[in-house]
Amino acid sequence: MGLRSDYQQSQLKLSGAKLSPLKMKKMFFAFLLDAGLYSYSALVLYKIVIQKMILGERYAEFAWSEPLMALGFGSFLALAMLSTKISIGKYSQSLVELRPDKSNLKQAVPLLGLFHLLMTFIAGLSITQVSVREFLSESGLMGAKRIFTAILNPNWQIFDIALFAAIETIYMAFIATAFALPFAFLLGFVAARNLMNQSPVMLSIYSVIRFFLNVTRSIEPLVWAIIFSVWVGIGPFAGMLALCLHSISSLTKLYSEQIENINEGPIEAMKATGAHPIQIVWFGVVPQIVLPYLSYTIYRWDINVRMATVIGLVGGGGIGTLLMQYQGLAKWNEVGLLVIIIASIVWVMDYASSKIRESLK
Amino acid sequence: MLQVNKLNKIYENGTHALKDVSFEVKEGEFLVVIGLSGSGKSTLLRCLNRLVNPSSGEILFDEKNIIELEGGGLRNIRRQIGMIFQHFNLIPRRTVETNVLLGGAAKTGTLKSIFGLYSEKEKQEAKEYINIVGLNGKEKQRADQLSGGQQQRVSIARSLMQKPKLLLADEPVASLDPATSHSVMDYLKKVNEEYGVTVICNLHFLSLVREYATRVIALKDGELVFNGRPDEIDEQWFKEIYGDEAKEVRIQ
Repeated sequence: MGLRSDYQQSQLKLSGAKLSPLKMKKMFFAFLLDAGLYSYSALVLYKIVIQKMILGERYAEFAWSEPLMALGFGSFLALAMLSTKISIGKYSQSLVELRPDKSNLKQAVPLLGLFHLLMTFIAGLSITQVSVREFLSESGLMGAKRIFTAILNPNWQIFDIALFAAIETIYMAFIATAFALPFAFLLGFVAARNLMNQSPVMLSIYSVIRFFLNVTRSIEPLVWAIIFSVWVGIGPFAGMLALCLHSISSLTKLYSEQIENINEGPIEAMKATGAHPIQIVWFGVVPQIVLPYLSYTIYRWDINVRMATVIGLVGGGGIGTLLMQYQGLAKWNEVGLLVIIIASIVWVMDYASSKIRESLK
Repeated sequence: MLQVNKLNKIYENGTHALKDVSFEVKEGEFLVVIGLSGSGKSTLLRCLNRLVNPSSGEILFDEKNIIELEGGGLRNIRRQIGMIFQHFNLIPRRTVETNVLLGGAAKTGTLKSIFGLYSEKEKQEAKEYINIVGLNGKEKQRADQLSGGQQQRVSIARSLMQKPKLLLADEPVASLDPATSHSVMDYLKKVNEEYGVTVICNLHFLSLVREYATRVIALKDGELVFNGRPDEIDEQWFKEIYGDEAKEVRIQ
């Protein structure tokens, strides 16, 4: 009883308060969110549920007037509902609270949320063309059987070709990691905030480096491989460059985070002896980071071997390129052998790198 | 040998850690700084070798103001001032010998120290200082695998390697058990009396203060509130420094 009256009072306070600028702002954002959600669900309801599923139009035509109409409808609905408590927008701006004395499934806001989620699920099923019929169709199952029998009967005649390609991949990954290492080692210090906050100049260098690292890291190695295969020609060198660039930025980030987490004590102690700044870094910082660095680097080699396989698909050389060639010719027995070789390399690398990293702790 | 005049430190977050602190230290003294946690003891010690940069005031070390020094000049002053820390701050994964040798890193030179090319004389000295703190035979052990008390003794040997005129000790026994505390304090006393190194030491326990200090200064909220002999700290001064609620804890 007490709970309930408290709750009603707080609701009274909320609606009875004057329209302060803060409340206006909150109401506005609540309206925007509501209008967006209603328009979205209205569009999904019309385009997918009505046109595709009920009317069964296979290729429903699209016109820009449709989303505009949905937007108008959504805004109208949102505006109409804004004075009530049935509004996700108002909940998100904490203008409405859930009643603790009632089950969530009997209240408007969670139900409304579930409705939007359901719409998204239906749209997702339709757009990804999920089809049980295709999955279990006779011709489809025949094809699957054919490819699985081929893969399970690998063609061992190309074993030496495949092995050489695999060796190329492993070495490509190794050289990429090895070239990345010195760059990342030096950049790691420059990208560590606790070493670079000494002066505004150093801090701006830090920001620039961090920006470039984030950019190079957010472009996938696959894309870099395409760029480099145009630059230096298709082959393992392009793949190596792509992996190397991505490794530099990833390792630098991991290294610099490690530096940021070190214990400041030894640094202070070295400073106090009157040591040179290079000695301070060498004895105060380096002994604390060597083992984590080694462990990250081995892990990176492991990742690079896996990525090298994928990069081969876009012309980065190695076993990936071979895989793409045989797949293009539909030679499934050869593909089967390649799959076995790739899987075993990945397994061995994974096992070895985790064992080495464990022993380094 | 050391004269501090109107020293102030205001941190970037606005904390006024030291307020017009002035005092003098004579050669050969064992000066102990007391006060509650957060009273500015650590800041004061770190100002003296400029691990913390004071906001204003003067620090005259051998009649030379060290407050404006930068680069090589500052390193030259730091070479003459040893420091030991509450958490020892030894270099992890290095041997006791290397840690002690690193006390003289500034003298050894950057490249030689990085490649571990220490002269026979330096090695001999390091061995001698390791003997002085009673760790002979442990030269080749990894420093981070020793017990707390032993690590603190390594750090005393490291500071001796600097051949310091002044030794700063920031809560040297605060993370040690009572028995080990006495042994570490005894080594500090030995360094002070037998090698003539002036010592400035932050301490928590008054019983230790009475046993080891030749003079005491007390900080309260960044201000110097007491400067005198250890036996002058009576009940009334104790309450003045630590607050009315405080009760003295004894370390046996």
